[in-house]
Amino acid sequence: MRIGVPHMGNLYIPLKALLERLELDFVIPPVNNQRTLSLGVRYSPEGMCIPFKLTLGNLIEAAELGADTLLMPAGSGICRLGYYAKTQEQVLHSLGYDAEIVSVGVSQRKLLGLLEVIKRLSNNAPWAKIISAFRFGLAKLNVLDTIERAVQKVRPVERVKGTANRLFARAITATEQADDYQSLKRVKTDCLEQLSQVERDESAEPLVVGIIGEFYVLLEPFSNMDVEKELGRLGVEVRRGLFTSEWTKFSLFLNPLGVNEKDRLHKAAMPYLKRDIGGEGWESVGEKVLHAKDYDGLVHLAPFTCMPEIVAQNIMPSTKENIPVLTILCDEQLGKPGMLTRLEAFVDLLKHHRRAKVKV
Amino acid sequence: MVKVGIPRALLYYQYYPMWRTFFEGLGAEVIVSPPTTQATLAAGSSRVVADTCLPVKVFCGHVLALVDKCDYIFIPALRSVKSKIYNCSKFLGLPDMTRAVIPECPPILDIDIDINKGKRRLYREIYRLGRNLSWNPIKIRRAALAAWQAHREYKELMVNDGLTPPQAIARLGGAETPSNTPDRPAIALIGHPYLLYDELINHRLVHRLEQAGYRALTPEMLTPEQLETAITRLTGQPYWTYEEEVVGSGGHYLESGVEGAIGVIAFGCGPDSLMMDMVQRQAIRLKTTPFMSLTLEEHTAEAGVVTRLEAFLDMIQRKKRRGAEVCV
Repeated sequence: MRIGVPHMGNLYIPLKALLERLELDFVIPPVNNQRTLSLGVRYSPEGMCIPFKLTLGNLIEAAELGADTLLMPAGSGICRLGYYAKTQEQVLHSLGYDAEIVSVGVSQRKLLGLLEVIKRLSNNAPWAKIISAFRFGLAKLNVLDTIERAVQKVRPVERVKGTANRLFARAITATEQADDYQSLKRVKTDCLEQLSQVERDESAEPLVVGIIGEFYVLLEPFSNMDVEKELGRLGVEVRRGLFTSEWTKFSLFLNPLGVNEKDRLHKAAMPYLKRDIGGEGWESVGEKVLHAKDYDGLVHLAPFTCMPEIVAQNIMPSTKENIPVLTILCDEQLGKPGMLTRLEAFVDLLKHHRRAKVKV
Repeated sequence: MVKVGIPRALLYYQYYPMWRTFFEGLGAEVIVSPPTTQATLAAGSSRVVADTCLPVKVFCGHVLALVDKCDYIFIPALRSVKSKIYNCSKFLGLPDMTRAVIPECPPILDIDIDINKGKRRLYREIYRLGRNLSWNPIKIRRAALAAWQAHREYKELMVNDGLTPPQAIARLGGAETPSNTPDRPAIALIGHPYLLYDELINHRLVHRLEQAGYRALTPEMLTPEQLETAITRLTGQPYWTYEEEVVGSGGHYLESGVEGAIGVIAFGCGPDSLMMDMVQRQAIRLKTTPFMSLTLEEHTAEAGVVTRLEAFLDMIQRKKRRGAEVCV
């Protein structure tokens, strides 16, 4: 049995740590690239969304490397995500791969779903071993997200553009290689130290733009054409509420106690959208209402044909709380120059807004 | 008399007799929007973002047609009618979305239907809906029971007499409808009722089949048991609320010896993109029934539909003559 996993941002690093520590046989397919996308597009049903296409590409590439047990998130009452595994398995079979997809029920059971699957796949390894491996994976995830938060602050104000990105890339490799808590801690402190020493433009007051929308395209830079990096290059500070480490923290410890990180967003969205519509639609509306005052603008990312986000996109213009929103639909047809032009125009508009506000 | 408007779109085809009985039981007058026209579609499309799917655009058009004709508009948020099986986001957010894109809309009567939250919750929701029209709980209860009875009769009528929803609604209204002619060769239409029976968006597909000498079989003519066994065979556990209309009827008809099957989906439909793919794969595996997939959107031209339909029917004829292998 060889396990394969799909990609989502840097999630493969903690997953790799987890599977390594459990001494399981596994492969990590190449990080998302043009070939992944082409494979995914070629074998997906026509109207599918980009997360399906990319994860299908990952699974095919994992199967090429000999994986026969593929992990895919699933669940019920979410969106098409719950149906992914069924179709992807059929595609893999029709391509001649004898692979089985193991659904990881993350929507209701959250991380516990993953724990149970891991327990089964590791031939009933003792819980102590699984939990210790899990802890190490989570530690890596936390380090990556802490560094990313710091990088988001530095990008817009650095004197030499690209410094923060370079440091981030180096930190990602170092995190991947770290194999105990000590070296992991060193990676974190070193990187944060270096980031704090980056030469900054002290006079700059960067625009603040919130990134909202669908989980996958938010967290997978390949699918959104590095929108955060590009905004940073344009001198915009990016705020994102969604981090995988936040999600895991809440789903493991706080959700069972009845605390939900999203309650604030849901409450804010209430006057306009009264119920959960699956995916992140409810949260997207909530973010707009909640952050209308403290951000300069919002970039709303959604996969093309994403059902929940289309509903959110229809509702958003009607809110009383007003803030400029740029919706970018991500799919294989999204071209970088086109997206950059739209981002530049959007940033110009926000600058005008801010200037007008200052005058008043 | 209070007037309650019901848009002739989306869930209308599944539940209209039930809704009408309920509201009339509470002493309201029910007004249904007129059949879809090009103007309905254009008006609806102008309100929502471009990516919204065709049926929802049509729905908004129907709501606009009702705006100054009634006191309330009934738009349910149908989340789940079977345990752990949920509906598409567009149905879940329908009342909120309509309120957002059509601000001039009369007050919306909405009801959250989610069987997973328990029967008691469902009854409370029905009561909450009824309270808008009557203070009397007994009257609401009686109306709800009558509505449920009407719904069952409606479903049975379609299964027993082989009627399509518009035919069944007409018959319940007392009109004489021609019964189907069983001696004709049959073509199965697979898809949601809001696509199959909206004559504008599918360019009178049922009608055209009849003109060509065929009889259209639709998902509503199958019993729940037939649909369920077909789903179990194809995908195991159903995932979407209306999965039986696509995967269930597709799985059944592909093995029922019909002359051909046509899968009808709307462009950009999330659930259908996956479900119709399942049916298509099954058709390829079986190689017994010719299968054509027809994608509808507002730019779908009549001539295009006609050409494809003719080609498909020609292929079926040729296959019959030669006994050739099936093309999918």
